Amino acid sequence: MERQEILDKVITLVADHFELDPASITGETNLTKDIDADSIDFVELVLEMEDEFGAEISDEDAEKLITVNNTVDYIASRAK
Amino acid sequence: MYKIAVDAMGGDNAPEAIVAGIEQARDKMPDTEFLLFGQLDKVKPLVKNEERLTLIQSDEIVEMGEEPVKAIRRKKQSSLVMAAQAVKDGEAEAIFSAGNTGALLAVGIFTVGRIRGIDRPALLTVLPALDGPHDAFAMMDVGANAENRSTHLYQYGILGSFYAQEVLGYDNPRVGLLNNGAEEDKGDPIHKEAHQLLKHGASQSYLNFVGNVESRDLLQGPADVVVADGFSGNAALKATEGTALAMLRLIKHTILDGNVKTKLAGLMLKPAMKDIQSQLDYSQHGGAVVIGVKAPVVKTHGSAGPSAVANTMGQIHTMLETDLVSKTEAFVAEHKSDLSKSAE
Repeated sequence: MERQEILDKVITLVADHFELDPASITGETNLTKDIDADSIDFVELVLEMEDEFGAEISDEDAEKLITVNNTVDYIASRAK
Repeated sequence: MYKIAVDAMGGDNAPEAIVAGIEQARDKMPDTEFLLFGQLDKVKPLVKNEERLTLIQSDEIVEMGEEPVKAIRRKKQSSLVMAAQAVKDGEAEAIFSAGNTGALLAVGIFTVGRIRGIDRPALLTVLPALDGPHDAFAMMDVGANAENRSTHLYQYGILGSFYAQEVLGYDNPRVGLLNNGAEEDKGDPIHKEAHQLLKHGASQSYLNFVGNVESRDLLQGPADVVVADGFSGNAALKATEGTALAMLRLIKHTILDGNVKTKLAGLMLKPAMKDIQSQLDYSQHGGAVVIGVKAPVVKTHGSAGPSAVANTMGQIHTMLETDLVSKTEAFVAEHKSDLSKSAE
């Protein structure tokens, strides 16, 4: 899967989960600071991403997914 | 035909008490099927009659002391996670467990999923009301959340009202806010704001808010739905249970340590004491409900015996029969912006 495709999917997931306009989300968007995701939102998002991309994200790795770009890079590296 | 997914391995007396309780419930509920998830070498020999029971192998068990979120993420083949997955996949309509409460809450939120518009699902329990128009009341949150915002409490008022109306059968249930005083301006900023939100809800006829209630009055039935933040609700519940147990123990010891006259009087009081005990036994109303999620998710206490399990199945059946979740979802969808706004 191309990076852009992953980025689009992650943005759609984040926008859908937090009911935001997808246009307001970029690669730089910080999931904890810009979106005010708390621990429950964050776990829900990680689980949705696991379902979407068919990949397991460990708790240790999940803690490092701070921005949308971090998340996209992580999924891209796992897909290789 | 309703379908209930059962974690057959959760609880201190599992799988024996769970299987026996499910069979009791099955015999009473001809319109319900049960999907039992567990280690079949242990579960199958306990089943007397497989009618309307489907046994499904699950290799793992979420233990009582395990960290909930980690456990449900790592043990995908556990009886609890598989039962929750069956609800998510539409193979069952409700889930039951007597195991790890935190893990059941976690599968409720993360696998079954929250109702859109409900920010934080809560744990609801039904307690005895010794006075007032009804013999029981619903209280929530009794410990799902360590911290709550005022909007959560407002949403609990709505969720609790639906539960009391549909499952307990109360007309226009009275909603009270657990606080440290009866006056409107009592409490911390969250409770003051929650009071205003609930009052606003009452002005819109969403619920019947009767004001603040104090913990000392809870069992006197000042409200049919008591809304609490998770921390205070849990503390109030445990203090109430602890006090009731301590009082019963005190009475018992006073009688046993007394003279012959006291013992004779104790003997004469025995039927009355039994009556008190049964009034205080709230397992007759079923288990604790994870409320605010897309399907009934219900927990009975870890040491539950077969009849408590069967009672809880009756409670789930009522939730399905009255279509509690769909009615709640429809209301929340219709009033979403109102339910998420802060008090001005």
